[in-house]
Amino acid sequence: MSDRLAALLRPAALGTLAGLVVLAALPFYLTDFWLLTGLFAMAAALGAIGLNLLSGTTGQLSLGHSFFLAVGAYGYIWFAGDDGRSGTHDVTGLGLPTPIALVAAVLLAGVMGGLFSPISGRLRGMYLGVATLALVFIGEHVMNNATTVTGGYNGRAAEPMTFFGFTLTDREPHLEVLGIEFGAYERLWYLALVLLVVGVVVARNLLRGRPGRALGAVRDSEIAAAVMGVPVARYRSAAFVVSSMYAGLAGVLLALVFGRVIPDYFGLALSIDYLAMIVIGGLGSVGGAVAGAAFVTVLPQLFAHYAGALPLVTATGTDGIGPQEASRYLYGAAIVLVLLFSPGGLAGLARRTAAPRRRAAGHGATSRPRTKEPQGADT
Amino acid sequence: MKPGSGTRAVCAVLAALALTVTACSTKDDKKDDGGGANPSAPGSPGGKVKTGPGVTDTEIHIGELSDLSGPYAPLGKSVTNAEQLYFDQINAAGGICGRKVVMDVKDHGYDAQKARTAYTEISGKVVGISQMVGSAIVTQLQDDIERDGLLTLPQAWASTLLGKKVIQVTATTYDVEIINGFEYLARTAPLASGDKVGHIYTDDEFGANSALGVKYAAQAAGVSVVDQKIKPTDQDMTAAVTALKSAGVKAIIVSASPRQVGPVMVVTESAGFKVPVLSHSVGFHPQLLAVAAAPMEARLAITSPVPAISSTDLPAVAKLGSDYLAKFPGSSLDQGVMSGYAAAGIFGEDLKAACAAGDLTREGLVAAHRKQTGMDLGLGLKLDFSSNAKPPSYQTFILKVDKSKPGGLVTVEPAHEVPGAKSYTLPKTG
Repeated sequence: MSDRLAALLRPAALGTLAGLVVLAALPFYLTDFWLLTGLFAMAAALGAIGLNLLSGTTGQLSLGHSFFLAVGAYGYIWFAGDDGRSGTHDVTGLGLPTPIALVAAVLLAGVMGGLFSPISGRLRGMYLGVATLALVFIGEHVMNNATTVTGGYNGRAAEPMTFFGFTLTDREPHLEVLGIEFGAYERLWYLALVLLVVGVVVARNLLRGRPGRALGAVRDSEIAAAVMGVPVARYRSAAFVVSSMYAGLAGVLLALVFGRVIPDYFGLALSIDYLAMIVIGGLGSVGGAVAGAAFVTVLPQLFAHYAGALPLVTATGTDGIGPQEASRYLYGAAIVLVLLFSPGGLAGLARRTAAPRRRAAGHGATSRPRTKEPQGADT
Repeated sequence: MKPGSGTRAVCAVLAALALTVTACSTKDDKKDDGGGANPSAPGSPGGKVKTGPGVTDTEIHIGELSDLSGPYAPLGKSVTNAEQLYFDQINAAGGICGRKVVMDVKDHGYDAQKARTAYTEISGKVVGISQMVGSAIVTQLQDDIERDGLLTLPQAWASTLLGKKVIQVTATTYDVEIINGFEYLARTAPLASGDKVGHIYTDDEFGANSALGVKYAAQAAGVSVVDQKIKPTDQDMTAAVTALKSAGVKAIIVSASPRQVGPVMVVTESAGFKVPVLSHSVGFHPQLLAVAAAPMEARLAITSPVPAISSTDLPAVAKLGSDYLAKFPGSSLDQGVMSGYAAAGIFGEDLKAACAAGDLTREGLVAAHRKQTGMDLGLGLKLDFSSNAKPPSYQTFILKVDKSKPGGLVTVEPAHEVPGAKSYTLPKTG
């Protein structure tokens, strides 16, 4: 009993718990602007965890991540939507209950990832990256032309998530908690937080268990992995499926946050953003992927919001360097600094700052046998 | 293990947090963070005007969601400058309703995510949005705009944006514009029944909308259309032009951006395929004069919802040109200046009308806007906003290129509509 209590009181576990409490409390303090930025960051974190499993852990470069995000987003819209009209196009839909549509969209993204696995099984490194590039262009064409599903250029509205009559919108029912009006973004925040926690726990367990070690072995040397009895082809395609499902989930969340999804969003630039997230966060680390997603999503907004207060930065719409331009310079500089001083990304930075402290604290934390605690208990 | 001092600190932080969460938060109720949400008291400088979010006793805040760092930055810059010029002049003359008009400019860089956060940031603080660049951005935000009831003037003219209660296309839509232009092309090329005309258009909302107009006009004239669909990012027009040349077209219509119109002029010239070309005003930019001035002067006609900025017969336009250059020396006088000034003018007139009706709330502004049936901004045509299902005007100007003139364009035919324009059925939107 006291052992378990001690495990719970470990600084790392407590830190995580404190982080969760802070995240859960944020809707009471943040304005819509910051809530929305946070929601985008959480959706990006889910997508980044997926890409990290694929590219960081298994070493399969993918530029097609935005395609799987789109599959998730439009999949959800189609599964949950009804027949009707969007812009100048007639659209169809299955009209499924929204939680089922969410699961179905994630599975659909997984199936698409599985369908791509014959290709990913035959190509390596840069060649695979270029092959996945094709997905982005195919996706662009399909999104603009499969109008009955996507609504074409105009995009299509996403059905708001509903749990037994409780919708994640501004109304129905009207909700006030401790004097704060709970609108769509506040409600979505908790859905996103739950999904993110589940996503992190699943990914951690996956990486710490047998599959994670197998995937790491595949990345380092396929021959060595095969010699040790790892079915390389199966693990490579499994990584693609799981990664696509994470992207699909992120896509569903994005669809819910946007309210209306347009094809323009899911371009090559989005895929590159996700690659940036996992590189900045630190390849192969789940926490790093989340931190990288927050870095890439929140930092430009933070800079753009406060750059106006910097010297030499002029108000938006006037001559000179505007906040948006200034934020790009600052953001670019931040990326270079992180990669220059911590090649392991944000995760490497955290490890390095944590390590000396642990040593100073004595043997306790580091030499503690980890086998006793249940897997992933410290998330 | 005995908890160390670090652990204790974490415990304290946790406990403190738990307490703060349950205590009262400092976050304002977001529904009235608009500033001045209460009707102004009688006797205040605003008199008895009813006000809502975005309007205080001394200021009227209007939103501008522009692209100042992305692909449409040149357009966004000109539009923003022109609107600034208009509202500076209004403020210098005492403002509207005794209040100063303040522009709240946000740059979205043509990114859907940034646009949504920017919209969320300003939507509670403004009475309306007098500029929104990018049809993809507008369509992405349209449900929220309708819900919030913010009068919004997009810098995009697809007829798919019609039919909305508060989103107002500011001029003739692309399809009607090209129907008018087609008549000029058929008259001057000339095109006879049985001839072929080539249509190069981008695979997006703009191109698709324009293609509807071309199809309609060509059918009426008995002319067949040879389509060449291109991607908005394409810049090499050789393949498209070669295909049209081998198809034997008598003229080419280009519904694309300056990035494509320039190459089309250059390629047709070098291939000895010197046929007349018709384009939309959004397809021209003065920068093109550096690469293709001669072929454009000889063969390019532009159908435009606004007159050329060099027009000397319209005093308001001439004044705009000189005022703009005085305020922003060295800027180019592109059509973005005209359309920005026109949008600001519409918004300004609506604010004045809402003030006269004693209701400067969002609803009051929309109501005042819908009552405008003959708005004349001195641009040579009247705008009718009473129906949201129709463009405010069916009239367009025909412009030609003349590099010696400011902005590089001259008006060759004043505002007019062709007989067939009104019988064209606008695409049904849902």
